[in-house]
Amino acid sequence: MKRVGKPVFFIVLLLIVAITTLSFTGFSIQHGDIKTTYIKGANDIRWGIDIRGGVDVTFSPPEGQDATREEMAAAESIIKVRMVSQNITDYEVYTDYDKNRIIVRFPWKEGETEFNPEKAIRELGETALLTFREGYETDPVTGLYSGVTESTVILEGKDVESATVGTNQNSAGNQEVVVVLKLNGDGATKFEEATGRLAGTGNISIWMDQTMLSAPFVQSKIAGGEAVITGNFTVKEAKELADRINGGALPFQLQTDNYNSISPTLGQGAKDAMVRAGLIAFIAVAVFMIALYRLPGVIAMIGLTGQIGLVIASISGFFAPFSSFTLTLPGIAGIILSIGVGVDANIITAERIKEELRTGKTLDGALSAGYKRAFTAILDGNITVIIVAIILMGAFGPPKSFFATLLTPFFFMFGPSTAGNIYSFGYTLLMGVLFNFVMSIYASRLLLRSASRFGPLRNKWLYGGEK
Amino acid sequence: MKFDFIKNSGKFFTISAVLIGIILVMTVVVGPQLDIQFKGGSIVTYSYEGDLDIPAFESAVQELTVQDVSFQQSTDLNSGAKTIIVSMPGSQSLNSQQMEQLTEGVRTQFAANNPQTMSISNVDATIGKEFLAKCITAVALASVLMVIFVAFRFRKIGGLSAGIMAVIALMHDIIVVFGVFIIVPIPINDNFIAVILTILGYSLNDTIVIYDRIRENKRLMGAKSSVEDLVNTSINQSFRRSMNTSITTIMAMVVVTVVAWLYNVTSILSFSFPMILGLAAGTYSSICIAGPLWVRWQQRSLSRKAA
Repeated sequence: MKRVGKPVFFIVLLLIVAITTLSFTGFSIQHGDIKTTYIKGANDIRWGIDIRGGVDVTFSPPEGQDATREEMAAAESIIKVRMVSQNITDYEVYTDYDKNRIIVRFPWKEGETEFNPEKAIRELGETALLTFREGYETDPVTGLYSGVTESTVILEGKDVESATVGTNQNSAGNQEVVVVLKLNGDGATKFEEATGRLAGTGNISIWMDQTMLSAPFVQSKIAGGEAVITGNFTVKEAKELADRINGGALPFQLQTDNYNSISPTLGQGAKDAMVRAGLIAFIAVAVFMIALYRLPGVIAMIGLTGQIGLVIASISGFFAPFSSFTLTLPGIAGIILSIGVGVDANIITAERIKEELRTGKTLDGALSAGYKRAFTAILDGNITVIIVAIILMGAFGPPKSFFATLLTPFFFMFGPSTAGNIYSFGYTLLMGVLFNFVMSIYASRLLLRSASRFGPLRNKWLYGGEK
Repeated sequence: MKFDFIKNSGKFFTISAVLIGIILVMTVVVGPQLDIQFKGGSIVTYSYEGDLDIPAFESAVQELTVQDVSFQQSTDLNSGAKTIIVSMPGSQSLNSQQMEQLTEGVRTQFAANNPQTMSISNVDATIGKEFLAKCITAVALASVLMVIFVAFRFRKIGGLSAGIMAVIALMHDIIVVFGVFIIVPIPINDNFIAVILTILGYSLNDTIVIYDRIRENKRLMGAKSSVEDLVNTSINQSFRRSMNTSITTIMAMVVVTVVAWLYNVTSILSFSFPMILGLAAGTYSSICIAGPLWVRWQQRSLSRKAA
């Protein structure tokens, strides 16, 4: 086997130290008030709601109520509007159309002091209050309707039959995307009256709860209960508006018998405790490894440090454009577990090197034989853990995530998992094994072979052999 | 030093059989306790200040709900807050309106103690059952994939039998983990499934390292040596590795368990503690069960061929 040069040791070591440090600290430049993040660090990790505190709730239509696909989509859009209107952008919503369930997870807002999960859940599931109002006067401070817009309600949700996306030829002769509104008898009459009054002079604003969705200009009097809303929509925007209007016309209220909530104080303490546990575990394993395997033990811990750094990077997203991955308490436990399991490859190799030395091989011979012979055991052993991690992610992951889709043939009869904490465990386990492979096979080998070229480090005792 | 694992295999099988027997008896006597995640129900944790009149609190909650309620007091070591956990098992979980009424009621009646909702866990019975079925499918799927993988990778040393023996050893480990949940007792929840799957992967990893050595030694030692000798040598050669890896892994989980216990992080405690015993069982079964069992299988098929 080719000799590994002395500088390699320092190059690999430097790379590991750099990646690990960066993965913890991140890299960002503060420019006045604007902070630009180039590399995300441990502080940018998105913590799961079991740590940050938050609510996890599964909504469904009332029992016996058969909801259509459109109705479920409408219900989902209501929830999204409400999340955004409360300034919660970090929510997750999954809709399962087969089982008619909507799973919502959201953390508590930062800086919030009053935690009332029962109220938050109730408000989220309430029937949306859809109103069509005259004009679009709003209060400049609160953004709420005011003046004539507050006092004059033209239509309510019950007046609307449906909203769909359609196309219409505009005055210039081009096709444009519009939202087609169908009103029922009562609504048609009220709408005809209002559009007659406002034609050519005013707008009608459309509101969900206290959020304005759109405020089209009334071009002419509309009779017959069918209206189109134009507004240079893209198909996606039109679909969104139609869904939201339908949400206000839902014939049922969302219900829930399935929800979890955690206060932020509880989770924060648990996280700090787990991080401490990780540190202690790392030190304990380091002492054990170095006492037992000497030089290969030191190398193993360098590799393990790099492994943890890479796992952290894979969670935070590292490079700013990459998306991050939610880390939960079981996820942290997974990282700690991979500290323990991670040295396995190094133990197998170090034991192998010892054996080879005992048969009388030279140091270089023992090193290359040790690594070569240990390889298949490490490979086969790691694959079993990969299989487990993939199943964990498939079974506990959100619908449409990669592994959940992959395992659909096995799990199709079950709905999406309503417990999201284990998914993160599967992820950290998988990342731990993959990066362990990189570190314990390639990086450690380079480090050890390069280190063994230094005179003082050629003592066989350092590798577990006789002096 | 060389220990004869094959000669002593009878002892190992007896120990395991007795252990499994005890667990099965305990299961029948005690009965497994499903977490509300699987059977449905509600658990609310309230924090409070000062001295709470516990009996009054309990009867107030009983009044506000109509169910069999059980109570448990505890202290959160991190914040120092005193908490009371209200559990309402049963298929009829509280919907969010009922839960809101309960909290409102508690807050007005015990305003002096400033009760706050620390956590709520409320699971619909149907969703819970479905989730349980999904988890069991996941474990079954993992086991099948493991047999296929071992059978494929070790086809040179009689892959299918090696795979089946490995899975018997895995079943042994699953039963031990299950036993921990029964005997402690810890309600069976998604942590249980995570532990089971992890142990499956870990224990098989252990077994594979030994099988790998058997595969290699079969080539080196040739056809002359007996199956017993082959397996015994292989187990002995990989023994130190098996022990040391177990030590580091178990050490990491012991640290987690102690810290989680000190800081009262129950969601992790019910994960890390069974994990420790599962890891120990996994190491034991790989060394003392999987290999020796495979030897017996090979001997039997050899004697059948000879006859």
